[in-house]
Amino acid sequence: MKKVKALGQAVAAATLGMTMTAGAMAGEVNIGFTGPLSGGAALYGENTLSGLRMAAEEINAAGGFDLDGEKTTINLVALDDRYSPAQAATNAKRLTQESNVPAIFIPHSGGVFALQDFNEEDNFLVMAYTSVPTVTEKGNSLTLRIPPTFDGYVRAFTDYALENLGTTLGMAGATHEYAKIWASMIEKEWTSKGGTVVANNPMDYNKSADFFTGVSRIIAENPEVMFVGGASEPTGLVVQQARQMGFQGGFIVMDQAKIDEVAEVAGGMEMVEGAIGVVPLSVYETEAAKSFIERYQDKYGKMPGSEAAYNYLALHGLVEAMDATESTDPKVIRGAIGNALADMETSKNPYEVTDVTDKGGFVTETTLAVVKDGKIVREAIE
Amino acid sequence: MNLFFQQIINGLTLGSIYGLVALGLTLVYGILHIPNFAHGALYMVGAFMSYFFMTDLGMHYWIAMAGSAAVVAVLAILCERLVFHPLRNSPPIHDKIAAIGILLFLEAVVQMFWGSDFRRLSSPFTGIMNFDGLIIPEQRLLIIVGAFALVIALQLFLRKTMTGATIIAMAQSREGAFLVGIDANRVAMMTFAISGVLAAVAASLYAPINLVYPAMGHLVIMKAFVIIILGGMGSIPGAIAGGMIIGFAEAFGGFYISTAYKDIIAFGLLVLILSVRPQGLFAKGAH
Repeated sequence: MKKVKALGQAVAAATLGMTMTAGAMAGEVNIGFTGPLSGGAALYGENTLSGLRMAAEEINAAGGFDLDGEKTTINLVALDDRYSPAQAATNAKRLTQESNVPAIFIPHSGGVFALQDFNEEDNFLVMAYTSVPTVTEKGNSLTLRIPPTFDGYVRAFTDYALENLGTTLGMAGATHEYAKIWASMIEKEWTSKGGTVVANNPMDYNKSADFFTGVSRIIAENPEVMFVGGASEPTGLVVQQARQMGFQGGFIVMDQAKIDEVAEVAGGMEMVEGAIGVVPLSVYETEAAKSFIERYQDKYGKMPGSEAAYNYLALHGLVEAMDATESTDPKVIRGAIGNALADMETSKNPYEVTDVTDKGGFVTETTLAVVKDGKIVREAIE
Repeated sequence: MNLFFQQIINGLTLGSIYGLVALGLTLVYGILHIPNFAHGALYMVGAFMSYFFMTDLGMHYWIAMAGSAAVVAVLAILCERLVFHPLRNSPPIHDKIAAIGILLFLEAVVQMFWGSDFRRLSSPFTGIMNFDGLIIPEQRLLIIVGAFALVIALQLFLRKTMTGATIIAMAQSREGAFLVGIDANRVAMMTFAISGVLAAVAASLYAPINLVYPAMGHLVIMKAFVIIILGGMGSIPGAIAGGMIIGFAEAFGGFYISTAYKDIIAFGLLVLILSVRPQGLFAKGAH
């Protein structure tokens, strides 16, 4: 039965896709998305898109929003870039020329950098779902960074691990660009605070069929803490294999991976005992987060990750800003989105973003999660 | 010393999986005379079928594996009948394009039904054996034993039975096989079925220690291509030896030098071997 439903959804999606290419009709604003929808990172892209879809459907179900006296609905135009920056740039050109979008959501740093080369000229907002700090530090006037930057996590995770877990670190991150930046930052932070890095062997998630060799190389150096990260699922395999080889220490989990998803693949919460990472959405106790999780589960039948929640609130914020300014001009929206987010109903704002910095970063309270006695506990960052 | 044996185990595990996939590829090469690019997709479908039989129908691991092997064998025969057979008189480039088409088609179909989520296939063999510090998870041992058993069974079939001999005859010389009255259609279908079975079994063996997702075939098939070039296109011992060479190069190179260089080591070996024996390790002559 489930398969039949999935088939129906696929047909619906295909027909929807056909109507999408027709361009914006009167009373409709196109919003662009480019991200991985096929290949190894397809799940990540689809999760991102699911948050956007949910927000768009909520807005449209309420009859759209008021744009200069006209009821306007949202039409999401999603293109697949297979995680490639070059393809993302081509998609962005297509989206601006064919669909005249004022904003493009994009969930990977490589693509964001590619789009920043021409977004001011072509006049569209880059809605960047990436926590690489340089995305906003470059001073692009039409970029909004949706999640918090990871430099705060690097400091907080290091402090906590050095205090509670031990001083020797085995680096088992990953080899993609994002993971490399993370790894070099954590290595610097770790050694500058008195810890030692005993092994460094990042995993190549795209080229390795197996991680046993790489993990055994790190375990051979007996670290007290292991740095792991990448997409949640392969990270879970690395964690599982480390435990199988007798590793007893804790983990620093890079923010791309979510502890709850890692635990599921690794074989239970006890496998990730002593792990430090970002707080999974499922652990949030706030009304706003709970209400979002409930609606998302009704719709998609699974637990939402942060990529769904952040993009959901970002699209709502974008539309609120258009509503408030009666404009679809990217520069005007960029100026108004901070206030729009702060004024937005909390049910649309699961992470309770309160402001946007001058450089375009969403402001959220960052917290860290640790696994203690088989439970994920949320701790404040000093 | 334990670490050394640990790498032997790792090399054997990887080599077994690579070898099984490469075997199917090399067998089909004997019929098509092009590498079957869709083989990785068959591998992926094999994993998804086992997943489906186990999770949705509640079957036992072994039965699910057998079911998956049967489904993929039929699928491989269908590919031969519907796509490659009608193309038998076309230039080889048509076969290549068709194979890539099948690959994309199967991936899209699987993604449509199951989505792109990463899935776990849980096998009943989750225990870990610990021989005084040498750690061997049961599933990994099963992979090694299973692969060896399958290779021996395949060898016996090809060498000791008449049907097996027709496959070898066809791979050695098409015209010769026709002259002695071998039914080419039957042999082609059988070869495809065997390649499907090998892919499905390899995937079902390997999936419990890895993830199941639509793009899972890419990685393994890339290695399998390297292996059949290394071992000699169409050569069965070549596929097995090549699989082990690449598996061991990855395990030992990855451990003693760096995992960042393990592909360089594997491909460096490829260059070295091909410069000494351009036709591959075991190929008897150019096709």
